[in-house]
Amino acid sequence: MNSGAEKRLMLVWLALSAITLAQLGIGSVGAQAGLAPAAIAASAIGIALIKVRIIIREFMEVRHAPVLLCRLTDLWVVLTGVMLLGGHLAGTAFPKR
Amino acid sequence: MNGRPEAVRFVPGQPDMWAFVLFEGFVFTAYFTAYVFSRARSPGLFLQSQAHLDLRVGVFNTLVLLASSWSVARCVQAAREGGYRAATRNAFLTMSFGFGFLVSKLREWVVAIEHGFTFTADEFSSFYYFLTGIHFLHLLIGFVALAVAVHQLRSPAPHSQEIVETCATYWHTIDFLWVLIFALLYVMR
Repeated sequence: MNSGAEKRLMLVWLALSAITLAQLGIGSVGAQAGLAPAAIAASAIGIALIKVRIIIREFMEVRHAPVLLCRLTDLWVVLTGVMLLGGHLAGTAFPKR
Repeated sequence: MNGRPEAVRFVPGQPDMWAFVLFEGFVFTAYFTAYVFSRARSPGLFLQSQAHLDLRVGVFNTLVLLASSWSVARCVQAAREGGYRAATRNAFLTMSFGFGFLVSKLREWVVAIEHGFTFTADEFSSFYYFLTGIHFLHLLIGFVALAVAVHQLRSPAPHSQEIVETCATYWHTIDFLWVLIFALLYVMR
């Protein structure tokens, strides 16, 4: 196997695994540090979407794909981020009695 | 089939699979939005119920699926360069990681149900079983996709790189959907 490609895949996998391990602390550290729930939600969603984009670009090889596919996948990532943060804010605005 | 030059842009796998991936992506985005909205409406209930989940199990499952994505990407790369033996080995490695996830998830469900954390226990548990259950179904289909890839790689007839890439694309989708499920159910507390 092409050693350059192999090395790149290995680095991507290690980076994704390292971010995942770092996520172990986000919830508890965030709550202990007195971060607002919106900030904890935004960081959890933001980090997850960064990981998703790395998987799509690197493992799924979208970085070599035609521009249309790159744009469509990026659009989905951005839309998901907007929908999740919007959903969180809307839910906060209308708490259950 | 030989490797493609770096500068050539190509759609990995069949375009139909990409249409399916985007469709699935939007469907899951709708599920995730419903979850986040409900969670923000009753944060206390969700926090209390989330205590049933062990974050370490979630991290383990995520690491296993990330490893499976890595090995299936290696499978595609090896097949592209004509290394069918290495590609097959990586496809089997991917299946093993997938099986590890499957066993871990089943174990997590059994332990949770034994502790009374059932589908109808509360709103969070309903979302938990729905999201992880539908993902689990996708995982099972993923094994079929991997079997198709292995069949292509081991077939004496000229194999189709496009089919191998299509199967890998489906498997990666299982991985990135789990990355989001993990963040929403386990990390966001």
